[in-house]
Order: sequence, then structure tokens, then C-alpha cells
Amino acid sequence: MTLPATEIGSHGPAEPELAPVENREVTGRSPLRIAFERLRRDPVAVVSFLIVLVFVLIAVFAGTIAKFFGVTTDTVSASSVLEFPSMLPKTGPPNHGFDSNHPFGIAPQSGEDNLATWLFGARTSLLIAAIATFAATFIGVVLGLIAGYAGGVWDRVISFVTDLFLTIPFLLAALAMAPIIADRFGTDPDRYAEVQFYGVIFILTAFGWMTMARLIRGEVLSIREREFVQAARVIGVPTRKILFREILPNLVAPIVVAVSLGLPAYVAAEAGLSYLGIGVTGRPSWGQTIDAATKWFNIYPLYLWQPVIGIVLLVVALNLLGDAIRDALDPKTRR
Amino acid sequence: MFAYIVKRLLAGFLVVTLISMMVYALFWYGPRSPAQELCRRESNNRCTPEKLERYEEALGYNNSVTSEYGKWAKGLVAGRDITVGASVIHCEAPCLGLSYRTRQPVFEEMKTRLPATISLAVGAASITLTIGVTVGVLAARRRGTFADKALVSTTLFMSSIPYYLFALLSMLYLTIVYDVFPQTGYTPLTDNPGAWFTGLLLPWLALGFYNSTSYTRFSRGAMVESLSEDYIRTARAKGLTSRVVVMRHALRAALVPVVTIFGIDFAFLLAGTIFTEKIFDIQGIGRWGLDATLIKDLPVVQATVLFGSIIIVVANIIVDIIYSILDPRVRLS
Repeated sequence: MTLPATEIGSHGPAEPELAPVENREVTGRSPLRIAFERLRRDPVAVVSFLIVLVFVLIAVFAGTIAKFFGVTTDTVSASSVLEFPSMLPKTGPPNHGFDSNHPFGIAPQSGEDNLATWLFGARTSLLIAAIATFAATFIGVVLGLIAGYAGGVWDRVISFVTDLFLTIPFLLAALAMAPIIADRFGTDPDRYAEVQFYGVIFILTAFGWMTMARLIRGEVLSIREREFVQAARVIGVPTRKILFREILPNLVAPIVVAVSLGLPAYVAAEAGLSYLGIGVTGRPSWGQTIDAATKWFNIYPLYLWQPVIGIVLLVVALNLLGDAIRDALDPKTRR
Repeated sequence: MFAYIVKRLLAGFLVVTLISMMVYALFWYGPRSPAQELCRRESNNRCTPEKLERYEEALGYNNSVTSEYGKWAKGLVAGRDITVGASVIHCEAPCLGLSYRTRQPVFEEMKTRLPATISLAVGAASITLTIGVTVGVLAARRRGTFADKALVSTTLFMSSIPYYLFALLSMLYLTIVYDVFPQTGYTPLTDNPGAWFTGLLLPWLALGFYNSTSYTRFSRGAMVESLSEDYIRTARAKGLTSRVVVMRHALRAALVPVVTIFGIDFAFLLAGTIFTEKIFDIQGIGRWGLDATLIKDLPVVQATVLFGSIIIVVANIIVDIIYSILDPRVRLS
């Protein structure tokens, strides 16, 4: 069927056949806006979001909160707070009642305050996860865009590298790389902790970008053949502009979903690496506390439960939020 | 088919070679002094610069990286003699070097570690597959009921919890706090089948049960899809019993994607279940790699990474071939 020219463009006479509908204002809503409104009406999403928000606030204001409770991560002389020879704390759990000076109790052996460790552990966890997610997303999106749009040799090389990295078992590779990074760059003992911190981020990023690259490549492959991209190419829009103005906006939804489901994985991986003893050591980390607390579990289970609850709550909330975001952004799920 | 397999094997060989080069380069250029740990260990913490120099020379760190990689690769195929200190140790054909800790050929040690990891992987994978597929199929048949919805949200919640926490807590509560399970650990099957079984029972259950949550969701999805196919309606219309329809017609199609994922997952289990082996104290490949990392036993770490990659590459090829056999629509090219 051929359409008369007037029906293609918006110019021409206004359509008189359309009876004026009631004076209801029709506002255009972008897909993201629709998704956001769906999310706001999803109780699981709201609760998860609030939990995540609390953790973010804890991470950001860890120092202030610690000061409010009067606790610090400073090393104390173990003899002043621990009983000998059991190495258990003099006050607080497991042998004594609640101690308001140390609301979460004191760690056995090291004598550190648990609340301070927990608060700063949240900071470590979220900071590493957030930076790694950002870096992996950035690399994945860039490589995916290049592979999908440029095609040819670029596509083949990038796809090969992606598959190569997917073949390397993550944990084993992390095991191999972590001590080497620390050994190579951690020459200055004062900066050793910092080096480890960036080392963990590097490892998480190096083995985390592949899924994003694959996803973006697939999406770009289909989008680049769509009419609006071809039209842009025909009228001579520069490639850079096509990528950022035409293609990238269409990738926002898959990127948001991948990021929100990737973040909890990074939180879990960070704690897992420190639990294995190849993550951060110079600063508080939940994984490290879990490793230390396992030995004391029989007499002091609360010590283990603090980081466990932190990780489980944060990871589950992030996962459920990610799931809700995926559902909200998916036009196929109508509720 | 044959051409396809050859092509895939060649590509896989290329990938493994590249990974071995990457790992080799990592250990060559990575540590400031790769010999330091060995020197320190063998001279009772009195590693002088002269001694370190000798160790570096003996390990070949004074030569070029390409010639040393060549030696290493040749050792892998033909075996070689390695001089450490004053002694010469012959390292048999798949030679991956000598462990810095025990001075034994890495491959020999790996052979003693493999049975534990294989036992663990096979047991856990059987539990995963049995529970996952059974529950998934049952849920798909009762789609939309309360039980189905409860199951889907439970599995979603379960798989949100990091695995190592699940395993750690089940170990602590089931063996230490409450004596439900005996002490876990690995005893060779040939030594004592009873101890082998009891020592691995909890790790099997923990790993198998945790992994089954994703299989439940996955096989449920696949089953729901295949139950809505036209040929199922045809089969029902022919008057076949619902048991035959579900088991022979729907399940067969639904299992194809499950098999694919299972193949890759199983390869990752074989490559080393590090968390499981650490938590349940099983002396397998993963634990070996972890311990080697903490004492910087570089050849062992290198061997575990390489071994894991080979397993995964091979599994990918096998899975693709099986996929084409199970699903006639898939053409290999």
C-alpha cells in the first residue's frame, strides 16, 4: 500500500476526523519513565532499594557513624580488652552481657571493635564493587560497541579475546594474579594495602567485562541494521555521533539491567576473595572477618553472623532490586 | 561433523596455548623475584643475595623468556631434567615443572589431588541434576499454582545468597554445632569406601543442593516452553498417557539446553571447587591451588590455571557436539 505524502509527514492539514477526546492531558512517557513508575509500585523493589540505600549511607558515613558510637578501627593493645589465655573479650559477648561501648562486641584474638570493622567493611565492599562494576561496564560497552558496529576483523579479534577470557576459570586466575600484583607493586609497606585494594578491583574488572561485551555486541548487531541507523548513515552523520546519539541510547535498558545484576556479584566476589585470603588485607573487609570468625564459631557465633548478615542482606537486596529492574524494563512483562 | 570437530580442536588448542603463554608471562614478568620464595624456604629464611642469584640462574630466570617457555613447552611434551640446587630431578612427560614446596614434579602431585576433586564434582553434579530437573519438571506441570510460585521465589532467594556463605554455615551448623554429619574430608575410595562416602556426603549435598536452584528455574522454564509446543498437543490428542507425554516428548526437548549448561558447569567443578574444598577441608585441585598461592608456589598455581582452562575448553567442544546430537535442528558448521 502506498501512502499519500501528507500521511507520512506531520505537515499538511490537521486530521479533522479525530474527534476531540476529553480534555485529558496526554503526556508522552519514555520507556525509562514507565519502568521507573513500575518499580515504584513494586513492593519488593522498594524494600530492596531502601536496604541498599541504608548500606550506601553506612558506607559513605562509616566514619561519622563509628564516631557516634564511639568506636574506632584503631589497633588496641590486645591485653587491655582480652582475657588470657582464652583470647576472648573481657566485656560483651560471648561471655558477658551487652557493652554499650562496643555495641557489636570485640573481636577475639585481635581485640578490634566489631562495629567499626563492620561499618568500614561495608565501605570496602561497596566501594570495590562499585568501581569494579563501573570499570567492567565501561570496558564491556566500548568493546561491545566496537565489535558490533565495526564488524570484520575488529569483531573477530574482540570476540576471540572475549571467549579467551571466558575460558579462564575466574577464581583460579584470581589466585594466580592476586599475590603477583601485590608483590610487584606493593614495594612500599605503607602503600601495600592500597595496592591490594586496586589489585582486587583490577582482577574483578579483568574477569568481569566479558558478559557485558557480548551482550552489547549482540544488541548493536541488531540495532545497526535498523532503519534509523541506516538513515543516519545515509545522510552522513559521523560514526561517533551514530554510536553515541543513535545506538547508545537504545542500549540503556540492557546496560542498566546488567549493571544492577552485576553489582551483587561483585560484592559477593570481593568478600569471597578476602575470605580465601587473596583479597584486601590492609583495611576492614567482611570476607576477612568471616575467615577469622570461622575458627571462633563454636564459642562466639555472633562474631561470624555480623559479616554474614551484612553480605547476605546487601547481596540479596541488590539481586532482588536488579531482578525487579529487569522486569520493569522488559516490555513483555505486563502487570 | 569430522571437519567441525577438527576445526574446534584446533581453535581450542590455540586458546590453551595462548592461556599457557599468558600464565607463563604473568609468572615471568609478574613477581619482582620469582625465586625469592624458593630460596627463602630452602635456606631457612637466610636467603642472601648470592644464594638468590644462584636460584634465579638455576630456574632459568637469567635466560630469555622465549627460550624458557620453549623449554617448558618441550617438557610438557617430552619431559625434561630440572636442576634445583645441587640435585637433578627428572620430570616425566607432561612436565609442568617442580613444586617449590615439595620439589616433586607438579603433574605427579596433581594426579594425587585429582580423585578428590573428581569425587566431589561427580557426586555434587548428580545431586544437582537429579533435584534440579525433577523439581523443575514438577513445577512446570503445576505452573501457576501456589507451590510453583513459592518454589520460584525460594530458588531466586537461595541463589542470591553467595555460595561460600551457604556452604560455610551448613558446615558449621551441621558438623560442629549439631553432629548431624560426621567430620568432612577426603579418604580415597579404594582405602575405605565408607569413610569416602561419609566424608563427602555433606559437601555433595551442600554443593549439589545450592547449584540445583538455578537448574530448577532453568529446567522449569525449558519445560514450560516445550509443554506448550504443538507436538505435545498432538501427542495428547493421540491419547498418550500424560506420563508418556511429559517424560518422552516434553522432557527430551527440554533437557537439551539443560545439558549444555550442565556440561560447562561440570567443567568448572572439575577445574577446582576452591570454596568447597577450603570449607570442607578436602585436599583436591582447588585447595592445592589455593595453598600454593598463599606460599607463592608458582609452578603449582600455573598448573592449576592451565588444567582448569583445558577442562573448560574441552567441555565446550563436547557440549557443542552433544547439542547437535540431541537437537537435530542444530547444524554444526
